[in-house]
Amino acid sequence: MPMLTPSEFTLRVAGGVLLWIGMAGCWNIMSGYTGYIDFGPVVYFGLGSYATAIAMTKYGLPFVPSALLSGVVAALVALPIGIPTLHLKGAYFAIATFAFAETMKQVCLEFDRTFGVSFFEGSHGITLPISGHDNTFFFYCLLPVTLAVLLVHYGIERSKFGYGLKAIHEAESAAEIAGVNTTGIKLRAYVTSAFFLGIFGGIEAYWITYITPDSAFNVHNTVQMVIMTLLGGMGTLLGPIVGAALLTIIYEVLGTAFVEYYLVMVGVIIIAIILVMPRGIVGTLKERMGLRFI
Amino acid sequence: METVFIQAVINGLLLGGVYAAYSAGFSLIFGVMGVVNLAHGELIMLGAFTSYWMFDCFHVDPYLSLPFATVLLFVFGYLIQKYVINRVIDQPHIMSYILTFGIHLIVANLALKMWSHDFRSITTSYSGANAAFWGLNIPYARLITFFLAGMVIAGLWFFLDRTETGRAIRATAMDKDVARLMGVNVREIYAVTFGIGAGITGLAGASISPFVIIFPEMGLNYTIVAFCVVVLGGMGYMPGALWGGAILGVAQSLAATYLSAGISVAITFLMLFVMLIVRPAGIVGKGMAT
Repeated sequence: MPMLTPSEFTLRVAGGVLLWIGMAGCWNIMSGYTGYIDFGPVVYFGLGSYATAIAMTKYGLPFVPSALLSGVVAALVALPIGIPTLHLKGAYFAIATFAFAETMKQVCLEFDRTFGVSFFEGSHGITLPISGHDNTFFFYCLLPVTLAVLLVHYGIERSKFGYGLKAIHEAESAAEIAGVNTTGIKLRAYVTSAFFLGIFGGIEAYWITYITPDSAFNVHNTVQMVIMTLLGGMGTLLGPIVGAALLTIIYEVLGTAFVEYYLVMVGVIIIAIILVMPRGIVGTLKERMGLRFI
Repeated sequence: METVFIQAVINGLLLGGVYAAYSAGFSLIFGVMGVVNLAHGELIMLGAFTSYWMFDCFHVDPYLSLPFATVLLFVFGYLIQKYVINRVIDQPHIMSYILTFGIHLIVANLALKMWSHDFRSITTSYSGANAAFWGLNIPYARLITFFLAGMVIAGLWFFLDRTETGRAIRATAMDKDVARLMGVNVREIYAVTFGIGAGITGLAGASISPFVIIFPEMGLNYTIVAFCVVVLGGMGYMPGALWGGAILGVAQSLAATYLSAGISVAITFLMLFVMLIVRPAGIVGKGMAT
């Protein structure tokens, strides 16, 4: 799109689409394929935002290393959190991940005031250095990360790791008896998705230049990832792409034209998807046409 | 010093009663259907608004509007389950989480559109009245809600244990296929269960209306607290709501007294997280573990 000399608005929307394809994809890697519903992926996005913000403002690191560092920080947090939580099943896993995300939000909000330091800056938030870059810059920052997430999907569709994930979805105990290291595979998926979410968090923080715990750890980000994947089709390669592109564009259209009713309409859309095509757009097409690898 | 501590514990227990009052319905709905009702807070919000409007328009005392809120929310819950959630009840549970989240968005935002962002409260002649003795204060309104919570949970237990419908609900919770073979209309039982859960939640919402701030977006926080209470007490185990409420209330109250109010929220979630990992069946171990 940038080659067609588009307007700043188009570029911003295109960047948003890329960001959300990537984020929905991250959720899909873990939850879409395994069926373990993660209700707190935003925690890694938020931690990434904070890692980049703190690295850039407190330690003067440049942007690109900061964003990569954000991914590493998110993955390092995901490892010890994933080990105990991934033993939980169904609603318990969903609630535990949600609780962890809310805990981290509160920690970022209250840490400074409680311990009398100046690190997370509490509810004041952190203002990042103004980048001076335009939307094209961020488009090209997001592009490789989103492509990497999709590459992971592509790998999942045709690797042992991917079969493991799908086996966990179908019948976890049977997979375990058959010799699949289920815990290890779930953990790999969880940490991978956290790593990319951390990078996305870092990029978004630098893009919007101002973060607060409420914005960085906003539960609506989680909800968006879930709904986009669900709309497109869980556990498919094209699902997050279709869902994220569609919903981001709907948001840009409806969100500006009908600000007051936007969230009501999102609610209606969610209920409609669940009732009419619970497998999502891509999932339903796959089923109808008998396609396998999309 | 000692008075401060005792006061903090009393405040915590009273808060726990409030928590238990509005979490019991959440536990019932999860226990019977496995539905994590993310629109739970909206039921509380609607209950509180019912009593607010009855007070504002007709000067009805908030406690007299309890039956109206209960009936209204029962009907609302019954219809939602019957015509919406029942349609996905045989699919993976995630469908019902997302469906109820959709309901949350619609109800909260329509309420916002109708009733605006304004913070409202009900000021009665007894608002802020305390029983004071030995340097301790006990607000009457919270005390009433505390006893209501006990009564609701006792009533619910009695209903589930002693009535024909209650037996059918328990049978459905244990094994819906066998219940169906025994002649139970499972879908109808689901609708009734959701209705009852919503009804007692509406009652709780109306009963807290004299001392909380009422606004359309209040729901999500209440949903989150109900989560914590129910996990601490044991999912699907009714008296667990009292345990969970008491523990959470006292922990928050002590943390707010000795540390800071903000940290008490972080402690809530930390307790929830640790509890799920260490003891998923709840503090007394009678909840459903998987």
